[in-house]
Amino acid sequence: MSAARDIEQQAAHWLVAREQPGWSADRESMLQAWLNESVGHKAAFWRLEAGWNAADRLAAIRGGDRSPAPRSWLPAPIWAIAASLVLVCMAAVSLWQFGLRSADPSIIRVTTGVGGRRQVALTDGSAVTVNTASTLRASFAGGKRRVWLDRGEAFFEVAHDKRHPFVVFAGGRRVTVLGTKFSVRRDGDTVTVAVAEGRVRVEDSDPATPERAAIITAGDVAIARGRSMLLADRSEQRVQDALTWRHGLLTFDQVTLDQAAHEFNRYNRRQIRLGDPRAAQLRIGGSFQATNVDAFTRLLHDAFGLTVTSDSDGVTIKS
Amino acid sequence: MTDDAAIKRWFTQEVLPLERDLVRFIARHCRNEADVLDLRQEVYERALTGSPIDRLRSTRSYVFTIARNVLVDRARRAKIVSFEQIADIDLVDLDPDLLAEERQMTARDELRRAMAGLDQLPPRCREVVRLRKVEGLSIRETAERMQVSHHTIERQLTLGLRALASFMLGGEARISRPPARPMPVRKADA
Repeated sequence: MSAARDIEQQAAHWLVAREQPGWSADRESMLQAWLNESVGHKAAFWRLEAGWNAADRLAAIRGGDRSPAPRSWLPAPIWAIAASLVLVCMAAVSLWQFGLRSADPSIIRVTTGVGGRRQVALTDGSAVTVNTASTLRASFAGGKRRVWLDRGEAFFEVAHDKRHPFVVFAGGRRVTVLGTKFSVRRDGDTVTVAVAEGRVRVEDSDPATPERAAIITAGDVAIARGRSMLLADRSEQRVQDALTWRHGLLTFDQVTLDQAAHEFNRYNRRQIRLGDPRAAQLRIGGSFQATNVDAFTRLLHDAFGLTVTSDSDGVTIKS
Repeated sequence: MTDDAAIKRWFTQEVLPLERDLVRFIARHCRNEADVLDLRQEVYERALTGSPIDRLRSTRSYVFTIARNVLVDRARRAKIVSFEQIADIDLVDLDPDLLAEERQMTARDELRRAMAGLDQLPPRCREVVRLRKVEGLSIRETAERMQVSHHTIERQLTLGLRALASFMLGGEARISRPPARPMPVRKADA
């Protein structure tokens, strides 16, 4: 038995696991501990990681075309210039799309896919956990702490700094804090802010209407849509429940099955559909693994006697 | 750690591109395939533990000097290798093969190579790797799509990852079966 092969197999296990949706901060620290155990672990892991990532170009054949692009008829240098021009244009377009005047190296960008979750330490000492199907940008240029939530949901643990407010822009809303823990979520044009600790101020990001501001504290939830904003005084427990996604869990307390299905569908490509209004209005509670649709639907079948039918792109629940 | 990040960058950008030549060099002095893997691993470990000053020299001569030392040590331990063989090991620097310029892979080369590597995998393993790399599916989604167990997909993906990574580094996309005993890496909640 080769010792090197043994280590390589372990390294491959870690790499595969790290790419899966359930990867958590706990497991990340277990991986770091394993890497720090020996230089041999590092060598094997870095080697496989580099080789495996080198095959990332395979994503380019997505869509069924499995043959490589035909050789270009242009001489190589011209082809290279053309390619770099295209790259420059693409970069310019994407920067323009995000409303930035110039390439700003201080912008940090975090994106997650469906079912993904990432934890990122920001340079000001704050930490952000980004939930499923989300995009977030952060900039700390010029002594300002600014974050844009382009889509999805994020939980912020903000490092206290009185002189530099931490501002989150989301769907026409501006959330300002000095140091606290809170989450911001976007669902189309609806922005939901839930505070776990401390106080935050929620207002229109349009400076013409500064009076439309609300201060919310721990246990409060602000739901803003268009020009209106609803403040709900929930218990701190309810807010904590709403944040269990940080551990890969969805926690429901007497919500309709319709609402629960909507939550599950944010985390899974396999969508849950409700076949009739009676099933949609059923109320349920409990904690579930966000990416385990099967466990959830099995429970619906066992506990409520609902009919569960699977097809290629999801499941349908009927009473 | 910044230091660790710098070493990793050096290792992946300067050492790993030499793998193809390194393995060929080791294999010339060692017939057993499992031994080649062990020796390659030992070269990498020594390269990573070496002093930072040594790493400032040409990476190629640094890595091949280590490889020669590893082979010499092994020959000494074995006690049955003739001195001619050890002397032969010293000729490494004169080998024209090993002085070849590193080939720079373009994006297009890389895609071709990745597709060639994919094609060399056994059918089921190839499909699992394809669903991961091309379609971006998780193990769970792949298991649902292919109607096989989570465990099977995980195993195929692990084997495929190793084979494809080796191929991308200049080796062969050959499946290397893991030992039968359970792996120490498990789910955190197990």
